Amino acid sequence: MHNFLRYFIRRVAFALVALLFFVLIIFALPRFIPGNPVGVLVSKLALQGQTDPERIQAVYRQFMEEFGIGLPLWDQFAKFIVQLLRGDLGTSISMYPRKVSEILALFLPWTVALLLPAILVSWVLGNYLGALLAWRRGSVFDRLTTPILLTLSRIPFYWFAMLMLFAFAVHLRFFPVGGTYSWGLTPGLNWDFVLDYLRHYALPFLTWVVICLGGWAVGMRSTMIYELGSDYILFADTLGLPQRKLLRYAFRSACLPQVTELGLNFGFMLGGSLLLELVFNYRGMGSITFQALSTLDYPLIQGIFIVLAAAVILANLVVDFVYGLIDPRVRTGYLRR
Amino acid sequence: MTNTRLIISSVIFLAVLLFGLVGRWVYPIDPISRVGGRLQPPSRQFPLGTDVQGRDVLAQLIHGTGTSLAIGVTAAGIAITIAVLIGVISGYRGGLIDELLMASANIVLTFPAILLLLAVSVFVPVRSPMVVAILIGFTSWPGPARAIRSQIMSLKEREFVFLSRMAGWSDTRIALVDLLPNMMAYVFTSSVVVMSAAMLAEAGLTMIGVGVTKGTSLGVMLFWAQMSDAVRRGLYWLFIPPGGVLTIACASLLLLATALDQFFNPRLRER
Amino acid sequence: MNISSLLAAEDVKAYYASSKGFIRAVDGISLEIDHGDVLGVAGESGCGKSTLGNVLMMNVRPPLRLLGGKVILEGKQDLATMDREEVKARVWGRVIALVPQSALNALVPTRKVGHFIKDVVRYHLGFSTRETMALAKKRFQDLELPVETLTKYPHQLSGGMRQRVVIAVATLLNPKLLIVDEPTTALDVSTQKQVLKLLSHLRTEHIVRAIVFITHDIAILRQIATRIVIMYAGKVVETGPMELILQEPAHPYARGLIHSVLTPEPMVRQRGLLHIVGEPPNLLQPPPGCRFHPRCPHSIPICSQEEPPLIGLGRDHLVACHLTSHSRCWK
Repeated sequence: MHNFLRYFIRRVAFALVALLFFVLIIFALPRFIPGNPVGVLVSKLALQGQTDPERIQAVYRQFMEEFGIGLPLWDQFAKFIVQLLRGDLGTSISMYPRKVSEILALFLPWTVALLLPAILVSWVLGNYLGALLAWRRGSVFDRLTTPILLTLSRIPFYWFAMLMLFAFAVHLRFFPVGGTYSWGLTPGLNWDFVLDYLRHYALPFLTWVVICLGGWAVGMRSTMIYELGSDYILFADTLGLPQRKLLRYAFRSACLPQVTELGLNFGFMLGGSLLLELVFNYRGMGSITFQALSTLDYPLIQGIFIVLAAAVILANLVVDFVYGLIDPRVRTGYLRR
Repeated sequence: MTNTRLIISSVIFLAVLLFGLVGRWVYPIDPISRVGGRLQPPSRQFPLGTDVQGRDVLAQLIHGTGTSLAIGVTAAGIAITIAVLIGVISGYRGGLIDELLMASANIVLTFPAILLLLAVSVFVPVRSPMVVAILIGFTSWPGPARAIRSQIMSLKEREFVFLSRMAGWSDTRIALVDLLPNMMAYVFTSSVVVMSAAMLAEAGLTMIGVGVTKGTSLGVMLFWAQMSDAVRRGLYWLFIPPGGVLTIACASLLLLATALDQFFNPRLRER
Repeated sequence: MNISSLLAAEDVKAYYASSKGFIRAVDGISLEIDHGDVLGVAGESGCGKSTLGNVLMMNVRPPLRLLGGKVILEGKQDLATMDREEVKARVWGRVIALVPQSALNALVPTRKVGHFIKDVVRYHLGFSTRETMALAKKRFQDLELPVETLTKYPHQLSGGMRQRVVIAVATLLNPKLLIVDEPTTALDVSTQKQVLKLLSHLRTEHIVRAIVFITHDIAILRQIATRIVIMYAGKVVETGPMELILQEPAHPYARGLIHSVLTPEPMVRQRGLLHIVGEPPNLLQPPPGCRFHPRCPHSIPICSQEEPPLIGLGRDHLVACHLTSHSRCWK
């Protein structure tokens, strides 16, 4: 336990440093361009069609206040941190006067609802499939499936998503063509809504699982094949232990690198899910990111940046935690990660 | 087996290359000016139809492919250069420098390029393909750097390096004369892989809006396809060609990389 | 064939199938292991001794193939006729146990030692957890191994400890024959002694009846072997009681091997060190006739033409060399 705590505290410290690093970047960026950053930002507002000069003045003053322009740099940073800790991500320009945190709170849950189950399902299924392929290595099943999985992994996932949408929703009409839920329905825990949501949820979820599954399966297959040739498997075999036991041993060893991979890939998967949501017109973080970019709404973009960075760091921390539990070397203090 | 893979992948990639670079002289239509009605399906006049602004899709495809390839090459060049520098220094020196460099590599590795581009997007709203290529290059070095580092770490224990050290060669000389030539094969294969990844990254990033905003690339074509709701409206000529060419280009590059790997491996064991 | 022999191999041939042909790792080997024997199998790396170890318990998996011969267990059952699943279920672990090379990685890394033992014992004997742990504790105590190792993971144990634990685990079910492959390589001298002590303990306590000790280190065999088999290029070239072989080896290769190691024997010191020139032969296409003839300082024409048969020199002492059937003028 004591070893595990030491390990975990180190990971938490590292996570906090990483978070600070990213906060620093996003803080520094607007303040190091020449000129008055708020002026630049507010002029974008003008470009969006806001022409009332009084309004623009009011917005300008508010942002000057929020950004703390005029204060020494250290004070600005302190103010920034304090605001963050309070959960205040600033005010949106394009949707003035709504607060960024309010806006994001509308979109984030939908992304989480799609991304997390998809990641977990594809990881679990992918690993089992990979183990199966390794066990049945060389069989017809393996010789058919593995090349198919490899080919699938070569297709850009966003294009694959478009193809899926095109094939299954537009042509075959199995699923509704995008969106999170039908027009006119309001989210609520009633049966009607849930069913409708699930119908819309199905295709993006399935697409995501299919995209990720192949990668996990092929990786697991290689790792399993490697583990199955290890000395300990050979020894256990000569002691008469049955094949299923050997597979279990190899599987447990092979899962360790797969957990690490999960952490490493999370950033990529998060970015990918944003794009996927866009293609399926699923109203999660993807669509609000797109919108923020097209309106050049800096506070909103900044808020999204912080939320995404925090999400990746948090996910990695969770993965580190789980890894610490399952790798005996961590628990006995033999691993320096 | 190796040779067939090598040949097939090279031929396919060469075809894509020719298409992107030379195609514009075979099919000299301007990709950015309006030449016909909007959203026209493929016809004799416009083999791949027109887009939402009436531009010729085939012309866009040709120019876009060229641009995407250029982005891939640039990004790969930058990424590999950084990776070699950091990998060699980290692997050869070891110690604190190694730990610091690898820690920074880990940070860059877990964070998607999207974050960097997101932060930059407001202040550099007009992003040419080269700008995006540079940014992608700067976020793609950790993977190859790690691999190069482990290769260097095993190479530096070899006899010929020991002899050079005994002969009093400086570290730089050892790096350039002893280590690098033995890594060339790996570096080359790595570059191919990074190029493929960069092209895929550019398209994805552009689609969501953080990538290229000026000029044509395969990503830009997909972006406009998405903006015109092409999938839902069944306007297949807008999204199938760019995605298809991108898939073919990247798949052939990756196949080439595996073929090269097999080809080079026996040689790597010699001095 | 001796009725009291525990395991008897008759003309066993096992080859590895490769793209270039058959690698003749075990090429017509016959030997007998009696109760109470510690049979040392010695030879250079690549002579086929590890393969022999596997074949003796019928651990034959592609690309290794059994091409002929019998392996008779206790005068009754020919293991070569049984299919792998059967041999695995009935013989491995319970009657014959193998401790492979690199036992250092032989324990499952994600399982504590005790847990792994539970798996083995539960599968074979169906004991409950409590019974298994009691059995394991008692056995470890008997073998003078610290009982705490049962609660540890393999990576927490030192190399020597791991080697001993692996041997202990392999013999938990009291197999009649224990085959150990290079158990003392990569260990320092004092740990080697502990391992040898453990092995001899296993024999004196009748936990196992006989041991096959495979090694390239002839010197070690002095301390534990009762009989020695010298292998070269997939064939047995000499076999006999340990002292006899070590003091008066008859086969030129055996002589070279034994005398290349410094021993305190007065006769050896007088003779000085001999050196064997050349490289071990290619097992794909071994030299015709006697396989050692290209490197043998005493070879005569017949050596390159006919394979020498194993002939008895004296009590229990067999040699495969043409020169033994002629005079002993090379002495």
